[in-house]
Amino acid sequence: MINPEPLPDSPAPLPSHYAGALPLQWADKELWLLPERALWWPEMKTVFIADTHFGKAATFRLAGIPVSECSHLADLDRLTLLLNRTRADQLIILGDFFHARQGHNETTIKALADWRQQCSTLNIHLIAGNHDRHAGRPSSLLNMEYHEEPWIYGPFICCHEPERVEGYAVLAGHIHPTYRLAVGGDGISAPCFHVSDQVMILPAFGSFTGGARVRPSGDERVYLVGPDQVIAVPNKASRR
Amino acid sequence: MISSDKDITKKTSSKKVAAKKSVAAKGKSACAPKAKVVRPTWQSWFKQRRWKSFSFQQETWEAYLDGKSGLVHAPTGLGKTYAVWGGPVMEWLKENPAPDAWPKASEPLRVLWITPLRALANDTVNSLQLPIKEMGMPWTVELRTGDTSSSVRQRQRKKLPTALVTTPESLSLLLSYEDSREMFSSLRCIIVDEWHELLSSKRGVQTELCMARLRHWLPELRIWGVSATLGNLPQAMDVLLGRAARDKNTTLVSAPVKKKFEMTTLMPKRLERFPWAGHVGLNLLPEVIRQIQKKQTTLLFTNTRSQTEIWFQALLNAKPEWADKIALHHGSVDRAVREEVETRLRDGSILCVVCTGSLDLGVDFSPVEQVIQVGGPKGIARLLQRAGRSGHQPGAVSRIFCVPAYAMELVEFAAARDAVGKGDMESRLPLSAPLDVLVQHIVTLALSRYAEAKALYDEVTSTHAYANLGKEEWQWVLDFVIRGGKALRAYPQFQRVKDSNGQLSVEQPLIARFHRMSIGTITSDAMMSVRMQSGSYLGHVEESFIARLRPGDGFSFGGRQVELVRVRDMTAVVRVSRKPSRRVPQWMGGHMPLSSQLAAAVRTKLADARRGIFEGPEMQTVAPVLQVQMQWSVIPDPDELLIESAHTREGYHYFVYPFAGRLAHEGLSALAAFRLGKLAPRSFTLTMNDYGFGLTTPEAIPLDVATWRKVLSPEHLLEDMLECLNSGELAKRRFREIARIAGLIFQGYPGSGKSTRQIQASSGLFYDVFSRYDPENLLLDQARREVMQQQLDATRLSQTLHMVRDMKITLMATERLTPLSFPLWAMWIQGQISTEAWSDRVKRMAEQLEAAAAKTESSS
Repeated sequence: MINPEPLPDSPAPLPSHYAGALPLQWADKELWLLPERALWWPEMKTVFIADTHFGKAATFRLAGIPVSECSHLADLDRLTLLLNRTRADQLIILGDFFHARQGHNETTIKALADWRQQCSTLNIHLIAGNHDRHAGRPSSLLNMEYHEEPWIYGPFICCHEPERVEGYAVLAGHIHPTYRLAVGGDGISAPCFHVSDQVMILPAFGSFTGGARVRPSGDERVYLVGPDQVIAVPNKASRR
Repeated sequence: MISSDKDITKKTSSKKVAAKKSVAAKGKSACAPKAKVVRPTWQSWFKQRRWKSFSFQQETWEAYLDGKSGLVHAPTGLGKTYAVWGGPVMEWLKENPAPDAWPKASEPLRVLWITPLRALANDTVNSLQLPIKEMGMPWTVELRTGDTSSSVRQRQRKKLPTALVTTPESLSLLLSYEDSREMFSSLRCIIVDEWHELLSSKRGVQTELCMARLRHWLPELRIWGVSATLGNLPQAMDVLLGRAARDKNTTLVSAPVKKKFEMTTLMPKRLERFPWAGHVGLNLLPEVIRQIQKKQTTLLFTNTRSQTEIWFQALLNAKPEWADKIALHHGSVDRAVREEVETRLRDGSILCVVCTGSLDLGVDFSPVEQVIQVGGPKGIARLLQRAGRSGHQPGAVSRIFCVPAYAMELVEFAAARDAVGKGDMESRLPLSAPLDVLVQHIVTLALSRYAEAKALYDEVTSTHAYANLGKEEWQWVLDFVIRGGKALRAYPQFQRVKDSNGQLSVEQPLIARFHRMSIGTITSDAMMSVRMQSGSYLGHVEESFIARLRPGDGFSFGGRQVELVRVRDMTAVVRVSRKPSRRVPQWMGGHMPLSSQLAAAVRTKLADARRGIFEGPEMQTVAPVLQVQMQWSVIPDPDELLIESAHTREGYHYFVYPFAGRLAHEGLSALAAFRLGKLAPRSFTLTMNDYGFGLTTPEAIPLDVATWRKVLSPEHLLEDMLECLNSGELAKRRFREIARIAGLIFQGYPGSGKSTRQIQASSGLFYDVFSRYDPENLLLDQARREVMQQQLDATRLSQTLHMVRDMKITLMATERLTPLSFPLWAMWIQGQISTEAWSDRVKRMAEQLEAAAAKTESSS
């Protein structure tokens, strides 16, 4: 269903590619937390994602566990839509792009190569994660720049495993953070951005990945990622 | 043991020689051997031990020798074991009459003895060996379970003992070997012990499938089950025997002997202080201690593992000098510790064991002098079984002391006594066609290479569980084990099982190894082992419990106070702690719901109370509480549904009392919340117990009888429940077990370390991925069905709604919480149902948090 026109008393619509996103001043930069489980830096037209774990389904299939490639294909579609909407020039993957060496199979590689052709003008940087190191370098067909962590990008340090680095703002993945918001017996769990003054941990982009529940401490914030919206969770610690 | 003359005379008409011997001399010397017998007979062995056989034992022996299969049921401690063991032994003695011609080497496999519990298996082997040894028969009786050493297993693989005592899982594993058919070729008989324990479980279905395989190879095979008393014994036999039950050659043997039963409820000294809620009953600790001191050995049963931990600590705190005289026993404690406790129980060197269902089963602990039950009995059969742990000797009286945890349980105990008096008994219903078990079994058989798809269908449908398995479902299962289902069609290289013209096999050693490691249906998913820093193993606990702790947090485990040091892989490392902690692990699935039989008895008791009749000590004690209930609200009649509403700081509460048991209430509360939420988007928190359920919501809802009738209507039950399940987490949780059994989750095995980490994913993830990309996956269907049937007790739920339709509904807005509603208010919240949009709900919760924070700030 299409709404004929916006309701008169609704707030001014956000730019379409920002629907459901949450803007944030962080490390003196304007960043957007996107419900696609990605981070958008408009100034540099850069999208950050983490932990896609492509090839995980194939690894399972090799062990006799029937999992189809569909979740990965859907992830790729989601990524394409995201890149189209933001018209990003750069994509930075904060590690664990590939799940395991066994995942390098025809189906997966072909899907990724096709996708790469569609976005051939995009610059892609992959920060090596623990899984990537075991899986080996991505195929040259994917035309990615491969960096060991930490990799400096403007004011940011891009890492896979989160680590404090004095004087820099760190962007990382690895944890697959999720958060459970609970009030008076009602509770809801979802992937989240886990943010402190110096470190921002992105949710896992891949949908065939698990999550680890995080408990933010006093000066940390959590942003829940819902199906089509990112919502800030009030800092519990401020109650004390 | 005395059997009546009448029974024995009846038996003299039997055609069988062996049976005639046993009854040749009527009356008092029923088992006298022939005068000049040199060769041993079963009867002479009985005589030698100064035992007299019961008529049900003789009936079983005769039926066995007649080539029949069947089911024997008798209370514990009446010689069920020898009833079923006699037949095979007598048959062999008949075939081998001359001892001097007996072979030197042990006889090949004849009897397969399946037992549900490893803990029972050792005792069983001892009982079975006794006559064999004393008669000097060339038989071997051996155990094979998950704990059997690999050298023994190797030896057994070459030659199985004459009688093999094993578990369903170990049997299944044996059937996965390529020489399985030869291994079992001389088998004559399968005996399934404690069949009632397996009957309504997936392990029971696994047993059915394994037996179908053996029956397929050996059509003459006799199958005998041993069961405690059930409400549905004929059905229990049908399930055991599968298609074979249809032929006439089957017998249901009943022991007519009834055990004497005596039950006493411990009462608090000051009646007016009796609590309205609480789940532990510790207020009666002094009375319990006094009772324990009176006897040499006591079993103290609680209803959950957590309660055993709490009670054990409480006893120790009150009586530090009992430190080495009392022990704790539950399913999550390390096996070595449990075995030590069992040994001390057998030799009577222990004062009291605090335990759960782990000691329900038939091990004979003769020194146990009394049994104490903490908390409502929940079922008549369970109360009797627990009582039967004392006075295990035939003819002795079973005595049980009951400890009510809160007021309403007094009513439950009084009702239980009435029900026992009337001879009421619950049924255990078999499962129907769980596809996960079938998926696992087909892969197991494919490993053995005796797996031809067409013949397999016939074999599988010869079981009770899959008797109505349609061709389509069968095709789906085949498709799933071979190609991984429809969604995997696109990957021709993927093959779990290879299909060459209908002949199934597993080609990849890796898959074969993983599968053998994962055989079984008991889910220990997401269980973490608990170890001391020194490395010694304490037991296991659910991961979700450990996940809530931080290093340094203390908890009680296995009767010790420990604190978490760190978590590594799937191990929680702990050390002894001096900090007292009240934190106790929760294990899932510990709650058995109030049975319908007992619930009906409870409602009758309440109806009496409404009329001012308080019969018996329990009812007299609880009378003041019930009178408060009558003053503040009403006590519902059996044909009346009471709904109370109240307002507290937490919000607006609606309490509904269908008395349908906890499981059905879980479903009913979700359904009611879901239907109320359809009227307007709302979020509810749910609580439930055996008597009713409570819904709490932030804003008041104007509800009249007509609306409640709609909310509790049996119309569109199935559609609404399914829709409600999709919005909830229930099916996802259920999928854990299914995913593991069907081989989606590989749990790893000792020493495998990191090599398997790449293929570990949580069942929740599988559930999400399947729901989205393979929605026709029948395992998802099964999860929903199991939630409906098992978790929410759909049958009872539907029955309840139909009953409610004809009931009078009474709405009571109460000023305060009543004796009925208070327990529902005071308990942990057990679920949520929300019809709000994700973002609305999160925003509302965020606002609530902000408001709370602002309030605290302004007040400080």
